[in-house]
Amino acid sequence: MILSFIPILTVDVLGSMAMVVIALLSLYKVRLLRTMDPDNTIFHYLMWISTGFMIFSISRSFGHILRQFLILTSNAESWHAISAYTGSINTVSFMLIGLITLFFNHSWNINEKILSSKKKLENTHIELIDLNQTLEQKVIERTERLTSSEHKCRRIFEQSLDTIIVTDSKFEVMEINPAGIELTGFTRDEMMVKKMTLGSFFASPTEWMRISQKIALKEYILNEEAEFLRPNNASLLALITSGIDYGAFGCAKTYHFIIKNVNDKRQMERQMAQADKLAALGELSAGVAHEINNPLGIILGYTQLLLKEEPEHRDDLKIIEKHVKNCQVVVSDLLAFSRKSSISKSTININTVIKDVAAFLSNHTDFRNVGIHLNLLPEVPLNITGNEQEMRQVIMNFVINACHAVNKKGSINISTKTAREQILIIIEDDGKGIEMENLSKIFDPFFTTKPVGRGTGLGLSVGYGIVKQHGGDIAVKSKPDSGTVFTIILPQVMPAQN
Amino acid sequence: MPKKTLPIITRLLKIIPAITIAGLILFPIDGYTTQLHSGSEGIITHQIGHFFFLFSMVTLIFTITSKGLNKQKGWRLIQYAAFFFILWNLCAITTHFFDNQIHAVTIENISLGKIKIIANNDSLMLAWFYYILKLDHLLCVPAMLFLYKGLSNLVEAQRHIVAEKDIS
Repeated sequence: MILSFIPILTVDVLGSMAMVVIALLSLYKVRLLRTMDPDNTIFHYLMWISTGFMIFSISRSFGHILRQFLILTSNAESWHAISAYTGSINTVSFMLIGLITLFFNHSWNINEKILSSKKKLENTHIELIDLNQTLEQKVIERTERLTSSEHKCRRIFEQSLDTIIVTDSKFEVMEINPAGIELTGFTRDEMMVKKMTLGSFFASPTEWMRISQKIALKEYILNEEAEFLRPNNASLLALITSGIDYGAFGCAKTYHFIIKNVNDKRQMERQMAQADKLAALGELSAGVAHEINNPLGIILGYTQLLLKEEPEHRDDLKIIEKHVKNCQVVVSDLLAFSRKSSISKSTININTVIKDVAAFLSNHTDFRNVGIHLNLLPEVPLNITGNEQEMRQVIMNFVINACHAVNKKGSINISTKTAREQILIIIEDDGKGIEMENLSKIFDPFFTTKPVGRGTGLGLSVGYGIVKQHGGDIAVKSKPDSGTVFTIILPQVMPAQN
Repeated sequence: MPKKTLPIITRLLKIIPAITIAGLILFPIDGYTTQLHSGSEGIITHQIGHFFFLFSMVTLIFTITSKGLNKQKGWRLIQYAAFFFILWNLCAITTHFFDNQIHAVTIENISLGKIKIIANNDSLMLAWFYYILKLDHLLCVPAMLFLYKGLSNLVEAQRHIVAEKDIS
C-alpha cells in the first residue's frame, strides 16, 4: 500500500524538535524550583527526572532527525550503521528515566522523614531556646537572690554586735567579725598569722577543755558562760553558743560560734543582788538596833544609878556599864549601816578629809610599818555634800581594813579622781587580797575573816551604808595575793552648785 | 490500594534475583564463559527498556495518587504526562513488535513524499494501523508538554509559599 510520507516526516521532525525544546524548558523550570528550595529532596528528584527526559528527548530527536535525513538523501546504509548506537542510547535513557521514577517513592519517603526530622529539630530548637531563656532567667534570678542573701549574711556578720567566729575542725579561727575583734582584743591578721584557736581567748585552759569536749560530744553548746582574757590582761565574761557545719559541696566541717559579752550584765546583776541583800540586811539591822537601843539605854541608866547608890558593887557595875556602852557602839554602827540614823549634811572637801585621816592614822601604832601614800587630785575643791564625821569614819574604816590586809606591813595608796561629775576615792593595798567566794560577802554586817575578838565585821558594812546614804557606791577589785582596790564613788558638787 | 501495591512490587524486584540464582543452582545448564549475542538481542533489550519505562510511569501515577500529591495541579499534570508516556510506550512497543520482531510490516521509500507499506498477507488494516503508529510524536510531545506545564505550576505554587513565608 502506497501512502504519503509527508505526515510522518512532518510529525517526526517537528515533534523531535519540540521534544528537545520542551525538555530544555522543563529543565529550566526545575532549576527554578531548586533555587527556591535547595533542600527539597522532591525537587532534586524532579531535577533528575527532567535531566533524564532531556537526555531521552535529545538522543531520540537526534536519532529521528538524522534517520529521516539519511534515508531521504539515499544514505540508508549509513543510518543502519548509526541506528544501533542511537537506539542503544535511547534504550539507556528509558532505563534511566524508569530507574529515577521508581526511586520517587523512596525519595518521597526520605523527604518526608527529612521534613519530619527538620520539623522536630525546629521544635526542639525552639524548646531549647525557650529552655535556655528560662534557664538564663532563672540563673539571673537565682544569682540575684544569692547575691542578696550573701549581702544580707555579710551584713549580719559584719554588723552584728555579738561576736561571730568561724573556725576549722581544729578550732583555728577562719573568720571573725568586727565585734569579735573588739571583744577579743586581737587583730584579724594576728589571729591568722599566729593561727590562733578559740581556746587562746579563754582565761582558763581548763574551762576551754571542758567546753571543747562538750562541743565534740554534743556537736553544739548553748549559752555556756566562760571567762575571756584580753591581751591587756582584762577579763570579761562571755556567753558562748556553738554549732557544727559539715559543709556542702565537699567543704571541710567548720564550727560556728556566737559569743555575747555579758560582762557588764553579770556585774550589774551581781551588784543588784548585793545591793538587794545589803538593803535587806539594813532593814533587819535597823529593826534589831532600834529594839535593842532602848533596853540598852534603860540598862545603862539603872547601872549608872546603882553605881551612885551601891558603891560596894562598883567593879561589877562598871563591867556592865562598859559592855552596855560597847553594845551601844555596835547598835550605832548598825544604824549607820542601815542608814536610818539622822545626820546633818554640809559641803565637805574630800581631799581634806583624806589628809586628816592619813595624818591621824600614820601616828597609830598599827601603821608603824605601813606607808600611806597620797596621790590626791590637785584640782580643788573636790567637794561633796555630806556629813564630814561620817565620811571621816568611812575613809578610816577602809584604810584600817587595808592595814589589816597588808598585815600591818606594806603600803597603802590613796588617790582621788574625777569622772563624769563623780569623785573616785581609790584605796589600794598590796596585801593578801580577798578570796573570790568572799567578795560578795565583804559588806555583810558581822562578816569577817579576822580571828574572833579582833573585829566586829561592821567596818566595811558601816562604810558601805554611809556611802550609800551619801548617794554613792563602792566598787571592789581583788585577787588573792595581788592586793585589793576599793573605789568609793561619790557625787561631786560642782563649783556652780556650791 | 497503591500503598499496598508498591511494597509488593519492591519485594518482587528483590525476590527475582534470588529466585534466578536459586533456579541456576537447582537446575544447572551448560555454562559458557562468554555468551554469544544473536541479532535480535538489541530489539529485545530496547523493548524491555520500553516496558521498564512504561512500568515506571504507571508506578509514578500511583505514587502521586498515594501521596495525595494529585490535589496539586502541578502533580496532576505530571500524572497526565506519565499517562501519555504510557500510551507512547505502548505505541512504540507495538511498532517495534511489528517491524523489528515479527517483521510483519516493511516500509520502502518510493520517493520523497511517498512510502510503500508492505504488510503480511497484504493486510490493509495492519498497514493503516502501522501508518498511524508511526505518528508516535503525537503522544510523546503532549506528554512532555504536560510535564513542562506541571513543573511550571509547581514553580508558581512554590513562589506563593515563599511569598507567604516572607510575609509571615
